[in-house]
Amino acid sequence: MSPPPPFGRLLIANRGEIAIRIIRACRELGISPIAVHSDADGEALHVRAADQSERIGPAAAAESYLSIEAVIDAARRSGVEAVHPGYGFLSENPAFARAVEDAGLVFVGPSAAVLEALGNKLAARRSAAEAGVPIVPGTTVALGDDPEPVEAIGFPVMLKAAAGGGGRGMRRVDAAKELRPAMDSARREALAAFGDGTIYVERMIAPARHVEVQLLGDRHGSLAILGERDCSVQRRHQKLVEESPSPAVSPTLRTALFESSRRVAAAVDFHNAATVEFLIDVEGNHYFLEMNTRLQVEHGVTELVTGLDIVAWQIRVAAGEALTADVLEASSRGHAIEFRLYAENPYDDFRPTAGRVTAWRMPDGPGVRVDAGVDRGTELRPEYDPLLAKVLVHAGDRPAALARMRRALDETRVGGLETDAGFLRWLVDDSAFASGDYDTSLIASRWVNGPVLTDEEAALASAAAVAARMGATTERPEAVPEAESDWGKQARREALRR
Amino acid sequence: MTDYEVRIGGERCNPAAGWTLVWDDRAQGIARLVSGTASVPVVVEGNSSDWVVTLNGRRIGVSVLTRRERLLADAASVERTHAGPTIVKATLPGLIVTVAVEVGDEVAEGATLLTIEAMKMQNEVRAPRAGKVIEVTVAAGQVVATGASLFRLE
Repeated sequence: MSPPPPFGRLLIANRGEIAIRIIRACRELGISPIAVHSDADGEALHVRAADQSERIGPAAAAESYLSIEAVIDAARRSGVEAVHPGYGFLSENPAFARAVEDAGLVFVGPSAAVLEALGNKLAARRSAAEAGVPIVPGTTVALGDDPEPVEAIGFPVMLKAAAGGGGRGMRRVDAAKELRPAMDSARREALAAFGDGTIYVERMIAPARHVEVQLLGDRHGSLAILGERDCSVQRRHQKLVEESPSPAVSPTLRTALFESSRRVAAAVDFHNAATVEFLIDVEGNHYFLEMNTRLQVEHGVTELVTGLDIVAWQIRVAAGEALTADVLEASSRGHAIEFRLYAENPYDDFRPTAGRVTAWRMPDGPGVRVDAGVDRGTELRPEYDPLLAKVLVHAGDRPAALARMRRALDETRVGGLETDAGFLRWLVDDSAFASGDYDTSLIASRWVNGPVLTDEEAALASAAAVAARMGATTERPEAVPEAESDWGKQARREALRR
Repeated sequence: MTDYEVRIGGERCNPAAGWTLVWDDRAQGIARLVSGTASVPVVVEGNSSDWVVTLNGRRIGVSVLTRRERLLADAASVERTHAGPTIVKATLPGLIVTVAVEVGDEVAEGATLLTIEAMKMQNEVRAPRAGKVIEVTVAAGQVVATGASLFRLE
């Protein structure tokens, strides 16, 4: 017999693949999932998957998915008991967490106070340093106009926004003369994106691996450390590929990462799901970057190797359940990899594209999981994130996982718009990625804008297009009557005779 | 059989011989190129002379031209390079953030004309060739659709 559901109804304050992921968790827990949608998403996949959907405003995210008032209204109207924010949008907004609680509802995430404390990256840096966790050398106070503290660190450096996220307000600076304009533009970008232009500086760690540790905590003081994920394949400081375990993490380093994560989490009264992010240098030193107190895009990688349902546990923990022994003692089995399928052109600096999905076939079979937010016919909107789907594989070891991913990508067919599929297909066979010995510069140094089209690829594409044109032409091609073979004439005579 | 000329990125290309296109799901353009025991998954979109073939995840634009279409295409490209204004269009929908040039400005090929915010990213629209800006049809703050005219270069 299944246990009683943690909640009767739950509102998902998000869209796309993550809304669908949460809807699935709700269904398995016996909760009625309620979606929200902007005017652009009335027929979206997540709306169709939910029991009911509330309109929250026009297409612009600022007036719909980012509107605290509109989302709280929808929660009240639909009579839910809890709100899951997903990732992005309002997920790390302390004012939203507080508004949910003030409405007498449960926020599926940490408390507003924790979001506040960790949302400011600079404050989080200070708190990590105080907890004895190594941080990237740099300032722990806001950077003023004086370039001296930056010059003292030594170039190259990274400028970062205190309110930052998603790579915005981030600038690499290689020399003193570039500093001033970089400071100005980083401040401007941070102010525009977050309403806060505060920046700080860190020494550039390069080459580096980007590794994060998954945490799950309950309201009773238990904390589960669910292994690490390597997120070193990035463009614009945003992740494209994640895998667990990290090929760069030795058992000794893993112990150190887990210990640092435990200390960072202990410094705040944390519960629910979070990720502690680190940079790892070539000597195997680790440096705290930030703690994200929400569900991560790449949580599925950890779900595959641990066999746990992180989203379901977020909801159960929010309802006051304690983590069970199988969560607290979870171990990692095999190797999992996630490739993110984005509507971006990898041959043009991964520039976002838009359009209608005209062909859509996702891989399946043993060890393959797809979390998709679109289907055939979906019109991709410029207002929202261009993530189409996440393709995940799980296998006994890394080589088997790579072979499985290659097979999965060959089954994947998308038409109608540019995607990063060409990059992903290249990556799976790239010698650096295949060896596991790669770092955050992989795209910039090895892919650049992709290999040139080979003669063989051009000849195959040409053959396909010519065949399609000949088959697709409703009028017979001009020369056919004259050139028709005796076989053809014979066949037609045969046909007429019947 | 009609003699088609095939071009990829403006360059002539010879189709690989001996391959058959087998539709798997015609409505979606999902197909395989088959030759003996070899099979290559593709997605084929388009009609008439304009096709896009997705091979190994990469979208490849392919022109399949009859003799008549070839002559017309060549004439049009001669026209483009030798005479008349060029209209710069939006290649993706989004919000115009900044407009960097004014009517009368001389711009170099590749110069930034404006930035469009789409998918949370700022994208620069660059001049396809050198020339004088003779018309600016958009302003900062405006939302444009794909294909919207942005500038005219003399």
